[in-house]
Amino acid sequence: MKCVCCFLLLVSIGLTSLHAADDVSPQTFLRGLNLNGPAVTIDGQRWDGKDAKQYVCKDKAFDAQNVELVPPTDAHRAKMLRSSRWGGNRVELSGIPNGRCTVFLYVWEDNQPETYTVSLNGREVERQYRSGPQGKWDRLGPWFVDVTDGKLVLTSSGGAANFSGIEVWRGEYDGNVSIPEDQLAFFEKRIRPLLVTKCYECHSQESDEVAGHLLVDSAPTMRRGGDNGAAVIPGNLDKSLLIEAVRYGNKDLQMPPDEQLSSAEIRDLEEWIRMGAPDPRRTATKIPRRTIDLAKAREFWSFRPVTNPTPPAVHDAAWPLSDIDRFILAELERQKLQPVGLAGKRSLIRRATYDLTGLPPAPHDIDAFLADDLPQAFSRVVDRLLDSPQYGERWGRHWMDLVRYADTAGENSDYPIPQAYLYRNYIINSFNADKPYDEFVREQIAGDLLPAANDEERNQHIIATGYIAISRRFGSVIEDYPQHLTIEDTIDNIGRVFQGLTVSCSRCHDHKFDPVLQTDYYALYGIFDSTQYPFPGIELDKKPRDFAALFENGKPGKSLVYAVSESRAADAALQVRGEPKKPGEVVPRGFLELLGGQSLNGDESKQSGRRQLADWLTDRKNPLTARVMANRIWQYHFGSGLVTTPSDFGHRGLAPSHPELLDWLASRFMTDGWSIKSMHRLMMNSRVYQLDSKSPSNNPALAVDPNNQLHWRFKRRRLDAESLRDTLLSHSGELDSSMMTEPHPFPPVDKWQFTQHHPFRDSYESNRRSVYLMTARLNARPFFTTFDGADRNASTATRDNSVTTVQSLFLLNNDFTHERASKFANRLLKEASSTADRLKLAFELITGRPPTTTEQSTAGEYFRDLKQVMESATVEDRNIEHDLWASFARSMFRTNEFLYVD
Amino acid sequence: MGMNSSRFHSSRRSLIRSMVGGSMLLPGILSELLAEDAARSADPLAAKPPQFAPKAKRVIFVFATGGVSHIDTFDPKSSNNGRDGNGKDKLMGSVFPYSANKRCGTEITDLFPHLRDSMEDICVIRSMKSAHFDHTEAAVGMHTGSPTFARPSMGSWLSYGLGTFNQNLPSFIVIAPHLPYGGTQVYASDFLPAYHQGTRVIPGEQPIENLVAKTQQRKIQELELGLTASLNQGHLKLRQDDSALAARMKSFETAFQMQTAGPEAFDVATEDDKTHAMYGLKRGDTKSFAWQCVVARRLAERGVRFIELVDTGSRPNWDSHGEMNEHVPLAKSVDQPLAALIRDLKQRAMLDETLIVWATEFGRTPGKEGKHGRGHHGDCFSVWLSGGGIKGGIVHGETDDIGKSIARDKVDVHDLHATILHLMGIDHTRLTYRHAGRDFRLTDVHGHVVENILA
Repeated sequence: MKCVCCFLLLVSIGLTSLHAADDVSPQTFLRGLNLNGPAVTIDGQRWDGKDAKQYVCKDKAFDAQNVELVPPTDAHRAKMLRSSRWGGNRVELSGIPNGRCTVFLYVWEDNQPETYTVSLNGREVERQYRSGPQGKWDRLGPWFVDVTDGKLVLTSSGGAANFSGIEVWRGEYDGNVSIPEDQLAFFEKRIRPLLVTKCYECHSQESDEVAGHLLVDSAPTMRRGGDNGAAVIPGNLDKSLLIEAVRYGNKDLQMPPDEQLSSAEIRDLEEWIRMGAPDPRRTATKIPRRTIDLAKAREFWSFRPVTNPTPPAVHDAAWPLSDIDRFILAELERQKLQPVGLAGKRSLIRRATYDLTGLPPAPHDIDAFLADDLPQAFSRVVDRLLDSPQYGERWGRHWMDLVRYADTAGENSDYPIPQAYLYRNYIINSFNADKPYDEFVREQIAGDLLPAANDEERNQHIIATGYIAISRRFGSVIEDYPQHLTIEDTIDNIGRVFQGLTVSCSRCHDHKFDPVLQTDYYALYGIFDSTQYPFPGIELDKKPRDFAALFENGKPGKSLVYAVSESRAADAALQVRGEPKKPGEVVPRGFLELLGGQSLNGDESKQSGRRQLADWLTDRKNPLTARVMANRIWQYHFGSGLVTTPSDFGHRGLAPSHPELLDWLASRFMTDGWSIKSMHRLMMNSRVYQLDSKSPSNNPALAVDPNNQLHWRFKRRRLDAESLRDTLLSHSGELDSSMMTEPHPFPPVDKWQFTQHHPFRDSYESNRRSVYLMTARLNARPFFTTFDGADRNASTATRDNSVTTVQSLFLLNNDFTHERASKFANRLLKEASSTADRLKLAFELITGRPPTTTEQSTAGEYFRDLKQVMESATVEDRNIEHDLWASFARSMFRTNEFLYVD
Repeated sequence: MGMNSSRFHSSRRSLIRSMVGGSMLLPGILSELLAEDAARSADPLAAKPPQFAPKAKRVIFVFATGGVSHIDTFDPKSSNNGRDGNGKDKLMGSVFPYSANKRCGTEITDLFPHLRDSMEDICVIRSMKSAHFDHTEAAVGMHTGSPTFARPSMGSWLSYGLGTFNQNLPSFIVIAPHLPYGGTQVYASDFLPAYHQGTRVIPGEQPIENLVAKTQQRKIQELELGLTASLNQGHLKLRQDDSALAARMKSFETAFQMQTAGPEAFDVATEDDKTHAMYGLKRGDTKSFAWQCVVARRLAERGVRFIELVDTGSRPNWDSHGEMNEHVPLAKSVDQPLAALIRDLKQRAMLDETLIVWATEFGRTPGKEGKHGRGHHGDCFSVWLSGGGIKGGIVHGETDDIGKSIARDKVDVHDLHATILHLMGIDHTRLTYRHAGRDFRLTDVHGHVVENILA
């Protein structure tokens, strides 16, 4: 075939020179028509899309953008080719000026070879044409025809023909750019050798890795250009990057990189561009993809299938309380390290209560635990805490960290999302109900597409997709609304949260470290591009729309929620360098090649693909889903994960400290029906969870493993922001522990006038638990930034435990601290009558234990001194008794024993 | 036990000692904290050596909110040739007359007579390109390098890279009467540890939050801190290996001292009349931009690493869509104080080691908008730098003759950031932080040091 092409080319050159000699008026482009697709630009000419006027075609339409074209071609031509009309074709174009014109017809084969005949205005122009194997395409013609009634009619007969596009020129046109002989000679003698010797090494099909995605081995690829834009623009020296590069004027773009071309060579290139860059090299080559050896990539620890290791044997057989302990002890024994003893019961119940509820234990719960001598005393505490509604508020908050939950949209005016709270409550209720994790994932990705027994269940499923809906919004403009950034935010979050992978690194290029391809990113992109996100409102388009309807009596009703729904389903084009205005090849929707590369089959592609994605993510064969979540549960219990980079299980993350334990946990997680509460019981009833956090100073483990990665003791933790605030409110007796089931008091939608100059800035205070505070994306609450609260704009996998002066200033002087201490003093005065009883109550509430005798005398001394100081100054309305206790409370609220959990 | 012998009654100095070092129940680890070297290793904000000899030790970053028109300020364009805004393309030259500083030749408009007089110490970059044409994105981009995704602010990066000199004050202070576009994101530390985030100061009587003791008698606070320290000592005895507990105790000491050091730093009353006059600051004023500039100098003297002055907030600001004359009062309020800041630092021999950067988020269109205003224009705008390591009296880059496009030497935000880091002794490609599986940089994968403006 190739030989024939060359032959034709030579013939056409011959013809061209003949034409030139005859001085025929130049051909002009009349019309291009993409028969079943959008308007496109082909060979620099603007083509109409299928919605254009002045043509009639009643044939069946189809689109198969995932078939690989032979030969490969540029994105627009490919898009045009792969969407076509088929059958016994008839296309009638009207409004064609009478006179001589030239017609080309683009055809292609999407499956089996066919043989057919094409006629133009009743004349057979292509007889018994063979369409060839799948993907083969052709530009048939040129056919010259004399138009007399303004019409062109193209028909086919015989086999099923796929008509993709029609190209019409006035006059006779051979279809090739004409190259006069002298110019062709110039190219062959001066330019081609130069390109071959100086550029092909890095910029041709033969290159190992094509630099800047630029190929200079054909005219189309040179003109299309690489990452930086067109290398050659005929006749335009200033805009042709090739010239800029060889001139060495721009220090960021100097080619060839090793040595500048001679001035004669540069002059030749300039001359060539000036004459219109004549170039006979027609075949558009495709950029060779970097191939990832997936089999090899899957050998990396986290991509291997989850195994179910047998818990190892240990020397100290009496030590393990559970299988988890065997894994931990085996490693400690191997390293010849000795774990510390068990934590005291008071420490343990304080640890477990903060861990599962984010609140301190009540004195009566401590007493009950102390009085319970049975071996299962602690597991009963765990069960009680898991049954309390505060559990979901605590563990739901962890999930909210991961999904960067907020009550506003995050674009420059920060539009409120009054309905977001429904998704928040869905999270809290799901944890409290111990919803199996795989269901929890499926509902958040594709709840609206899942079967449901009744309206109530269906509505909860719809609300769950609030997960996708709360992706960040950007920009303020209607035109060019940057939806691609919101989709990136979705994909980024799904990658990190469910798979521990930084998939969004592949938006602009193949992942630099992990086996994630750019096509993987766009395979997912297509799924979310086929999804309707609700529109929260922006500065220039204030009215929210596209919300999802909840069901009433089996039908969509009037009440609207911030959730997603299905949109027009289609595969998306890869975006070159992540720029939506530079479409590349169309990528079929599907899953990461690395994790199975599943795609949509048959009718599945008529939907977005979210439902399938939900299945792929929760497939038991997926090596990451269970591992990542089991590790997170471990992390929240123990202060750090077995993998200490909980959202990065890739090559840049850290390997697990106990790989077998992680697999054992992941495997148990799945066999226990993905029950998160089972995992809590499993982990908390181990000995390793119940270890002391203190260590004798002569313990060798302190030097060998100071960060406690081997779990020879329990890790002490600072109260997180929510626990600190909730605890202070609880101590002062002010905490409203009811669930918030109403929306935040946002103003009514018709009053919204938020702009980037006047963004949404309210902050609604309440005495409910911190998980219910309204969270705005643009403006953080100072308390939460001070105490390392979650990022409202990006997934937070681990919270800092920072120690800052600003925190200490807050505890010293902030009104919140002082008011809570004052209310706490009132409570002590009311609930206990003697100083000794008050002191005991204060200590038990704040530290979970009664004061020591030393502390009792310290306190007595303190009150005496403080009283003297207070009485030395005359201050009006002073209630000395109250003020003494308030001062004492402030001092206690600043102690390490209060701020840290052993 | 008599009052004076009690452990809770003590001089401030001995209180601090009892909290941090040596006395009574304090175990070994805490006394180490008092030693300078140990304090360095324990304190993440301790001053760290730069990667190479720096030109500047600190940055004063002035951010003019709203988009200052380059054409009417630091990149004046002729209003001849019918450029009065009434032509077909509504082209409008500088609304204000302009002239050159006679000694260095840099031309700026009459909006800034004082700054014009200081142009010998200033390098104007006229070829800046903004990352975005909307306020929020462009303002966040100017601070973090990323107009879209949350990233740490430049001040946080410098705090992370270099620490700070004065442990009694934050490393990164933002004096902002109002928040600029992007809100707290412009000074957020994002994934960098929280102590690197900017501490916002609101001009007024109480500039830093929670800095003023709430207890009616100061002595009471001292007693409370003594009690906390005493209880902490008992707690620490069995937990000596946990440096966070010791650092927490230290942080109360710093907080306690900051209650004094902070107000002292912000109290400009001790400045003499001459200084007040030079900045144009009225006695007792704690709100004007002149106050911000005097405080910036005081913070610079006291060893703060990165000081940002926000000039106005996200409302009434430089965003003059309808009327360019709105620039007049805004310019008037900053011109004299900024020129005074340069002069003052110079006369105190501090200008050489202090980098002053004045920036805005983008420029304004060469064509008229509305009655007599201009629209947003990201394709080119001007910033200026002065002091530590900057060649004064020059102009870098050029726009075309109507101020629409960059004609020469484009500088984008990453280049500006790379240059600032370079002057502080940091190679922008080597200041990285590992987060979520990737090494992040202020300049992402971009940025070139603008060599031509270096002294």
